[in-house]
Amino acid sequence: MQLEMLWYYLVLAYRRCLKNVAMVLLLTLTMAIGLASCMTTLTIFSALSGSPLPGISDRLYVTTMDARTQTDSDDSAYKKPDSYLSFDDAKAIVNAHRAKAQTALAQSTEQLIDPDSRRSSMASGQLAYGKALEMLGITLLYGRDWNEEEERARTPLVVIDSTMATKLFGIENVVGRPIRLGKRLFRIIGVYAPWKPRIKFLDLPHNEGTTLEDYQRFFVPAQAALDNGVGPTTLTECGKENALVTYQSTAVGPCRWMELWTQLDNVTDIANYERFIANYAESQHDRGRFVYPPQAKIFGTRAWADVNHVVPNDIYLNLMLSGAFLLLCMVNVAGLLSALFLRRRADASIRRAIGAARWQLFGQYLVEAVLIGTLGGILALPLIWLGLTIVRMQPVAYANAAHFNPIAFVSLAILSLVVSVVVGILPAWHICRIPPALQIKQQ
Amino acid sequence: MRHLITPLLRHSLMPVIVVAQIALACAIICNTLFLLQQRLTPVLTPDGVSDPSHIIVAWQVAAKGSPWQTPRLLEVESALRSIPGVSATSVSGSVPMETLVQMNGNVLVDGSSSVNKANVAVYVGNHLLETLGLQLIAGRAFNLDEQAVRHQGAGIDDDGTTVITQALANRLFPKGDALGKVIRIGDAPDAARRIVVGIVRHLMRNALGQDNRENIDYSMLFPGLPGNWPLPVFTVRTLPAADLEQVRNAVKIVIERELGQEMVQGIAHYDTYQELRDAALAGPKAAAYLLTAVSIVVLIITLAGIFGMTTHWILQRTHQIGVRRALGARRIDIFRWLLIENALVVSAGVVLGMMMAFSINLWLMHHYELSRLPVAYLPFGVVILILLSQLAVLWPAIRATRISPALATRSV
Repeated sequence: MQLEMLWYYLVLAYRRCLKNVAMVLLLTLTMAIGLASCMTTLTIFSALSGSPLPGISDRLYVTTMDARTQTDSDDSAYKKPDSYLSFDDAKAIVNAHRAKAQTALAQSTEQLIDPDSRRSSMASGQLAYGKALEMLGITLLYGRDWNEEEERARTPLVVIDSTMATKLFGIENVVGRPIRLGKRLFRIIGVYAPWKPRIKFLDLPHNEGTTLEDYQRFFVPAQAALDNGVGPTTLTECGKENALVTYQSTAVGPCRWMELWTQLDNVTDIANYERFIANYAESQHDRGRFVYPPQAKIFGTRAWADVNHVVPNDIYLNLMLSGAFLLLCMVNVAGLLSALFLRRRADASIRRAIGAARWQLFGQYLVEAVLIGTLGGILALPLIWLGLTIVRMQPVAYANAAHFNPIAFVSLAILSLVVSVVVGILPAWHICRIPPALQIKQQ
Repeated sequence: MRHLITPLLRHSLMPVIVVAQIALACAIICNTLFLLQQRLTPVLTPDGVSDPSHIIVAWQVAAKGSPWQTPRLLEVESALRSIPGVSATSVSGSVPMETLVQMNGNVLVDGSSSVNKANVAVYVGNHLLETLGLQLIAGRAFNLDEQAVRHQGAGIDDDGTTVITQALANRLFPKGDALGKVIRIGDAPDAARRIVVGIVRHLMRNALGQDNRENIDYSMLFPGLPGNWPLPVFTVRTLPAADLEQVRNAVKIVIERELGQEMVQGIAHYDTYQELRDAALAGPKAAAYLLTAVSIVVLIITLAGIFGMTTHWILQRTHQIGVRRALGARRIDIFRWLLIENALVVSAGVVLGMMMAFSINLWLMHHYELSRLPVAYLPFGVVILILLSQLAVLWPAIRATRISPALATRSV
């Protein structure tokens, strides 16, 4: 019975739509544009927020402290948490083994060359101290990660990803082969599946304005790398007498350039680790190495992304703009629907007079509103596709994140349903309040 | 007035929706137009550089390891000058539109209070004036003595001379007597002192923030080269008759011959200044297109909405209009009544919208470092919205005047 009525209402609504095509076109178009603009910005926003490495990065924390070893009269305040540590400090903290997994990392950009110098490739990778692959959840396809003895012995080893292996050697399993990196040959001991976080979270302060991460093609033990002419991409914070910034330099000496990432699984671990870090930093301050109060603190990946504005302000502004725009479209559609419904007051009052209950009338008009909303949602699909295509062509850091996905499709369906119900409530309620007798008499 | 307002209050649904719609549209448009103006600032402001397509800029020439020393860079500069077809060349810390490296200082007049600081972009290089083709409107360029300076640090803490832009001169010396005066970079007691020796008409800053409407043209030139600078920029101006591509290749060959071994591989760019400018302004331009499109669509949707609602609302009141006509109202009275009614409703919406626009702006200022919405925007927005909405009801109102009193009172 209920379903039959619903079907009947749908047919009625369809017939009415046909009677007033211009108005229905205006309604669905308005709805579609509003939904499409909102969904476009939402899709981009959802691509840029959340975990950089789902399931892994929510347990990763970066250590920050004011580890300056020289006073700076121009800039003495510690304005923003600083994640860069000197290699010595990073080593000392990692070697204390106070957490399940700990790694000091620094971005590197280097040319990888096959031993015969026939093929080469410029790639982004990481200098690491500690078990980086394990902590970052990287899948090893062949071979193994390096161990502590090798790290201590400064053995020139490298782990590369399968794309790099294929590019330089034509096959994936290249374990045991040498590869030229910096000044000498490094032995490949492992090959991992291509790895790229969804959004950037490593080395953020050096990469202001970057939102998306590149594939990291190699991991190399930091000490062995430095010994053989491979340095971090950018080196800053080297003290007053040195250059503000240098590139690919191995003269890391007193510079602060490594980020220390730690895996902490629960609240107790976090509290213990924070205490340990604070003690370490304080002891360095007491010994006079750190000249300022260290204010050591750890940040989770998401909090760290917020501190460093990984999601650009423009994204939030566009999100608000499109939200306001959708609201405008909704008000517009509500107004036009009211006008459309009120013109049919006569039909409504006759139905009331011959026995239809108010809620039945209300349902009928709501069905009509939902039909129009659904049409708008369908029309919005190509518009969203168009919107995302336009965004991908824009000169913005997040352009490559603008892709349509199944989640966006489901959210669009839900959003258009909710919006059309919200928009339909007022006109439908207004029309079923009409007293039947008066209306008929007036006719 | 009462005969206008009472019917509006009695059947308040449609007017309320129109008011809400106008208010929202108004709030959106005020804020987007404001953002639009900010985004357009760097696009519309002259950067001071003349003949931008006759300049080759070699940038992102990064030293691998420790930075090149100044004498070395000056050698490269003279090597570039000997390329056939080159009229001027300069090595410098940065140039306008090159946003990778920036040097900025807070500048104040010597002896004045630190409240009057202006944030200024600093370009350090000996021959930027002629290479970029800046227009010197007073004073002189750097002389040979000044060019021989060797900065220990980046140069921002050293005393010396400077050439500043007219906009900065007007800001610091409103009386127009900037030449020969001393400015200081920072308010520390040992802050650098620079004597103003020249004024150029325009030179755009390269560190852009959210809102640069005021300080977009605040720049100054220092002679010499920043010391220990890892990213020198080489600028080469070609003779009008020279083959641009040949010069571009020659510049590339010279720089790679001189510095190639010590350069970070694969990142250096050799663009014309025009290309550099286009790339730097692509972002603001794209944002400006987006905001313009949003404003236009908001206007269209609002007007279409008002048109649709008014049409139906008037149709719904055919009977009422017929009665008014039958009681002696002339066509022009009906027309005027509907227009005034619309103006009333729209004005209410606009007032509400302005309040919303301001509160949204306040919130944005707090959270996203936006600047205050200027009051000058308001009358502009009000007039545009009221005029356009009157246009939108023109046709329905004209149709309403054609309602025949006899027919309307009889049939509906």
